[in-house]
Amino acid sequence: MKLRAIAAAVVAALAATTSACGSAEDTPQDVTMWVYPVVPDEAQHRAFWDEQIEAFTKDHANIDVKVEIYPWAKREESLTTAIAGNKAPDLVYLIPDQIPKFAKLVQPVDQYLPDEVKGDYRDNVRESVTMDGKLMGAPILMGANPLMCNKKVLDAAGVSAPATWDDLLEIAPTLKAKGFDVTNYYADPSATLNQSFYPLLWEAGGDVFDEDGGKVAFDGDAGVRALTFLKTLVDEGYTEKELITGIPAFEQTRLAQGKVACTWQQLPADVESFWGADAITIHPPLKDEEQVGYGSIGALSMMKQSGAKDAAGEWLAFVSSPEVTKAYDLAGNYFSPYQSTGALYTDGPQAEVEKTLDQMVGAPLHDKARDVMGLLAPEIQAALIGQKSPEQALADAAEAANGLIGQ
Amino acid sequence: MTVTAPAPPRPRSGQPPRPRKRYLRPEALLGLGFVLPVFLLFLVFRFGPAIVGVLLSFFEYTLGDSPRFTGFDNFVRMFDDPLFWQALKVTVIFTVLYLPLSIATSLGLALLVRRSFRGSKLFRSVFFLPVITSLVLAATIFTWLFSSSGPLGKLIGDSWLASTTLVIPALVIVSVWSRFGYGMLIILARLQDVPRELEEAALVDGAGPWARFRHVVLPQLRPALFFLAVIETTTSFQVFDLVYVMTGGGPARSSYTLVMALYDQGFQYFDLGYASALGVALFVLTLFVALIQRVLMGRSK
Repeated sequence: MKLRAIAAAVVAALAATTSACGSAEDTPQDVTMWVYPVVPDEAQHRAFWDEQIEAFTKDHANIDVKVEIYPWAKREESLTTAIAGNKAPDLVYLIPDQIPKFAKLVQPVDQYLPDEVKGDYRDNVRESVTMDGKLMGAPILMGANPLMCNKKVLDAAGVSAPATWDDLLEIAPTLKAKGFDVTNYYADPSATLNQSFYPLLWEAGGDVFDEDGGKVAFDGDAGVRALTFLKTLVDEGYTEKELITGIPAFEQTRLAQGKVACTWQQLPADVESFWGADAITIHPPLKDEEQVGYGSIGALSMMKQSGAKDAAGEWLAFVSSPEVTKAYDLAGNYFSPYQSTGALYTDGPQAEVEKTLDQMVGAPLHDKARDVMGLLAPEIQAALIGQKSPEQALADAAEAANGLIGQ
Repeated sequence: MTVTAPAPPRPRSGQPPRPRKRYLRPEALLGLGFVLPVFLLFLVFRFGPAIVGVLLSFFEYTLGDSPRFTGFDNFVRMFDDPLFWQALKVTVIFTVLYLPLSIATSLGLALLVRRSFRGSKLFRSVFFLPVITSLVLAATIFTWLFSSSGPLGKLIGDSWLASTTLVIPALVIVSVWSRFGYGMLIILARLQDVPRELEEAALVDGAGPWARFRHVVLPQLRPALFFLAVIETTTSFQVFDLVYVMTGGGPARSSYTLVMALYDQGFQYFDLGYASALGVALFVLTLFVALIQRVLMGRSK
């Protein structure tokens, strides 16, 4: 009798275990996602995510989503520390500039996204987050850096907004004579080249790496032409000299003070409070051989460390859908990564920026992209302060970078 | 019945009485108890990571990969890396300029405020203020002072930080400004211990101010100066925050220090093995210089 009771208990326990395994989908799972102040107003940002979590949880009662909003500053250090401490989130907001750096720590997300959604991304958006044919993050927003000009400055100097490099050089002396700079350029090594030098390199018809990524390509004719163009602007006094060696507080720059005609390194939101909304005019990126600008893509990537990948994948598919991202992009004043969404803005600078989205290129997706930038930036600076010729600076950077890639 | 008190234990014949071990004394145990938490924290958060850092320098390791033992490869790479030599050169030049200037300034100001006079306490406090001022804040203000639109920049008609020649002197000036108060305090404390009679006797013997300082005061300051030399050398070899805020290592890497290189390798490129090798090189260099200083300055206690 006693033996029978024990056997019954064992069978009951086994049955309970089997039943638990069979209903894995119902097992409560926690998903943590790290984002940053894409929507500047924290209360509004928090409310947005609370609303999305509530909507998601209606159909996924077993998944408990936690969205943590961290500051932009030192975000990579925070993430690195969390990864090293095995406390990484399941999903994290990354931009293409970061993706190669974290490539070994995040996993492709293709399997979690519906085909119709993946097919709806703008071509340049898809390229910006794809490594080895795999999506390393689900794009949720897009930013663009076309040419932005200060109408008050242009009018005061009696010149028109430039369309090409030649136009820019042509109006520069007139602007200088009136006490204005034709543009600004940040050459401090801590400033990213994605927004400063690479657009010029692309416009000259060049690229950072060669086709297969085995070597750098910035030291070719296009690179020399881009750096020579830049050096002319600096040597002739057409740009603010302080920016060549430092990054002053933005309000102390000539751009913020309304003394710069055009820039491809800042956005309307950066200058609106200084110039006034009426002074901002948006134009296509400058043209040389090509007409290209830098575009940033915000994507949600899944960490390999995640212990709840399926649940995280469900949440990822939800939040990166065209409907949710449209609301998010409007709240954050960004643009949609989807073709089907159409125009989000009907007037004002954002509507003009939106028209240039297809002319944008993302940061180079190469596992040594950051390292190469670290080698190239000081050499560009050396050329701009007259220590080296553009050819020598690029050749020295290329030699060091190729050595690094070959390691 | 007679009750006799128990005799104290006698030492065995031929053996001296065994002294009670010090660590068994209750007060010693209590002291150890107080020290133990800090000691454990030191082991876990300072000593442990330092050892791991040394070990890591023999591995190729980046986040997301397993460490791979590579022997001395990181060190071989370091000796072949022109960036390492550039960073080392900048660090050594910075230290060579900073160290004497820092100690001389500390010493001079300590001598100035040594004696009590009306307002001497105020001066001592004011001189110490830069030490407790946020270095990042100070760096931001000095960046403007050295810029072409700042007063120091206007002195030479250009930005100090844009010049490959003047950028290190500019950083040295800010470093000295931020640290001399600490050195002054150390020297001042030592100066209070110099017997006044010695100087008075020298005065009676006809020694002038310089002779009194050179032959009476300075020898008494040797331990404090040695301490300062070691501390300030270590500090200057580790200069980072100022460079990070003021120049980012530029222009054209003319202020790119070893710790900047370490930071870039470790936190920008995630090459943690190579970054650790740079850290080991920095440690060895600091130790080597401290030993030389010990030989040159620290002969007497």
